[in-house]
Amino acid sequence: MSRPGDDLRSMQAAVEELARAAGLDFPEVVYELVDHQQLNEIAAYGGFPARYPHWRFGMEYDRLIKGHTYGLQRIYELVVNTRPVVAYLLSQNSMTEQKLVMAHVCGHADFFAHNAWFSHTEPGMIDTAASHGARIRALCDQHGLEVVESFIDRVQSVDNLLDVGAMGRACGRPGNAPPLDRGASERDVLGHVLRRGRLADWQHEVLSMLRDEAYYFLPQMLTKIMNEGWASFWHSRLMTGSLLRDAEVVDYADQHSGAMGGDGTLNPYKLGLELYRSLYEAQGGGRAGMARLFEVRAVHNDLTFVDNFLDEDFCRRQRLGRDAAECAAAREGLLAQLTNGGQPVIRVVGDGGDELELEHCWSGSELQIEAAEDTLRNLCALWGGTVRLRTRLEGRALLLSCTGGEFSREYGELLGPPAPPDAD
Amino acid sequence: MSDGGGRIDRDRRRFEEIVRGQIKRDLKRYVTGSEMIGRRGRQLVSIPVPHIELPRLRFGRNGRGQGQGEGQAQGPADGSAGDTEAVGAAGSEPGQHLLEVELRLEEMAAILGEELELPNIQPRGRARLSVTSRRYTSISRQGPRSLRHMRRTLKETLKRQIGSQTYDPDDPRLLPDADDLRFRSFREVQTPDHAAMILYMMDVSGSMGREQKEIVRLVSFWIDTWLRSQYKSLETRYMVHDAAAKQVDQDTFYRLRESGGTKISSAYELAAEMLAQQFPPSDWNVYLFHFSDGDNWSGRDTEKCLSLLRERLLPGVNLFCYGQVKSAYGSGQFMKDLDAAVADCRNVISCEILDREGILPAIKTFLGKGL
Repeated sequence: MSRPGDDLRSMQAAVEELARAAGLDFPEVVYELVDHQQLNEIAAYGGFPARYPHWRFGMEYDRLIKGHTYGLQRIYELVVNTRPVVAYLLSQNSMTEQKLVMAHVCGHADFFAHNAWFSHTEPGMIDTAASHGARIRALCDQHGLEVVESFIDRVQSVDNLLDVGAMGRACGRPGNAPPLDRGASERDVLGHVLRRGRLADWQHEVLSMLRDEAYYFLPQMLTKIMNEGWASFWHSRLMTGSLLRDAEVVDYADQHSGAMGGDGTLNPYKLGLELYRSLYEAQGGGRAGMARLFEVRAVHNDLTFVDNFLDEDFCRRQRLGRDAAECAAAREGLLAQLTNGGQPVIRVVGDGGDELELEHCWSGSELQIEAAEDTLRNLCALWGGTVRLRTRLEGRALLLSCTGGEFSREYGELLGPPAPPDAD
Repeated sequence: MSDGGGRIDRDRRRFEEIVRGQIKRDLKRYVTGSEMIGRRGRQLVSIPVPHIELPRLRFGRNGRGQGQGEGQAQGPADGSAGDTEAVGAAGSEPGQHLLEVELRLEEMAAILGEELELPNIQPRGRARLSVTSRRYTSISRQGPRSLRHMRRTLKETLKRQIGSQTYDPDDPRLLPDADDLRFRSFREVQTPDHAAMILYMMDVSGSMGREQKEIVRLVSFWIDTWLRSQYKSLETRYMVHDAAAKQVDQDTFYRLRESGGTKISSAYELAAEMLAQQFPPSDWNVYLFHFSDGDNWSGRDTEKCLSLLRERLLPGVNLFCYGQVKSAYGSGQFMKDLDAAVADCRNVISCEILDREGILPAIKTFLGKGL
């Protein structure tokens, strides 16, 4: 790992000057040069090389390294939402690629700084993640790796049960996770467990750290299309504006179209970029168009972005559908994927005494039931009493209960026709 | 990162241990894709990339197809956090799980070599063969779409547009026409090569069961893949024996089930004849692999085997490998006798393969010397 040399630093200065002149407003960006192995490693740790030890990061690394070896995917850069913003550049990139990446990073840095969903994230997250790492390592030494790791496995099995809306209510108060001083909100299942679960002191500490990290990453998941789209919009605009030298045009075009490519599957880069472009055009471009874009990037998340701006006309132009019905289906499918970050909505309906009762808010798709049972076992182990989950299976109400590893299924009345097999 | 490198290696090792079921057996049931060979096509092999999916509350299908429903999207901390750009992989969104990877055999051999830290082989003998290979180093005006060379094509377009003054630097739009298209194309290159042959011998006496043969099949497949990456022209021969030996084709080699006694010397005798007549070791790099459950007919026959080995086989071959597959009936005596008798020969390697877990270590043992 090394700091960029003079050539890259002067390139960074040129790119950033142009970006600021165009209206982007972002904190200091620090670049680090790494080789692909280092980059894959940092990516496996979610951007935080000193994160706590866990096999899941090893698995992620294994997958990234294999993907790289087999030539299936390549990571060009990685940006971490901290202050200053840290961005890793692949040292083997050509200068054209570095320039493109820097322009792209300006977009991300601006987005991190201005999008409302990021307003509360911990600015010193690199340090926070490192101190979580150090603390968990110490706990492993104290209680045994196996014990601590198995506890983390359980937490990771339920760490998607977060309150997505909490971030909108954070109103700029720093701190990744919603504070628990006035109780946990009904969707913050982890918060409930943290407050009332029967946990040993070290378990409480670990859960608190992992909850914090889960909430830190949540906004990135909720704004993938917007964030990538914004960065792509800006790299494209800055590069083709005045950054590109004539000799670099073809290489740039090749790289850009590589990133925008994809057959059939949703490419957040492409979708986001096109949505911003169509929005810009809809305002007649120019100053008004730009003002609208900056406004949109500040207040929306992927769900509201797509809901508001992906209309039939856009669908047709992007060939997401050929007629009204197809377009509507494409839109609905996308919205379903984005609602609650694609996770089932689970809320706490009761945590009296020993019992934690959860409800799966029915949205038309069933939970994968074996996975749900295993998850409930894990949750039950964290909670320490009885955990229940109300859901639906094959059109009937279903109550899953778990007490100390003992499991029961109770079917209730028929609520409607079973979900069609391809409902999801 | 010098310090961080150790960290990720530890986490990766731990993951691999879980996949292999060595630790945390309760997670073993969440492991997908840990088989070594997936489907095999003509040129392609798919290697599933192992993955552990912790249970979560997620959408998915229920019913007859047990628990295979993949949710709509990945979990939060589960996706690629930070901001990962996977560029170039058509539509492979970062954070998605690659369940299977398809790659060409030679690529796989390279990876195998790397993972097992196999040394490259130093060929012996005269380089008497010349092989023709195709190198994609040139450009042509015709070709399939998949070989289209975008940069060269666009460069042609640019040249043409500048020449015809239809290029506007303020609106640098490039519209390639049919004449601009350029494709990657190959040249044929002749390179000298060493000739190599592998002879697989397998004991098919009654005591070798289906599982034992499957292990032999897997081991031979990987050995074959590795040696093919080292030699362009590779001859492969198969032989089976019980009390008598005969040469067979590949298909028969894996499927045949004979019964009867085991006279290993029959195989070695036939091997010696084959080498003398068709593959003189002065011209060929010769690899002999013999798989058996080690239950030879008699001590006297073992004597005969050992003398055949010492006098006729070992002096000429690069490598003689003996893999002893554990079976319920085998005594495993042959390996002990062999080890004792040829301890001084550096081109003999023997290895016991207890079960499927033993396959990779066996390959490493066999090929780890680079002979």
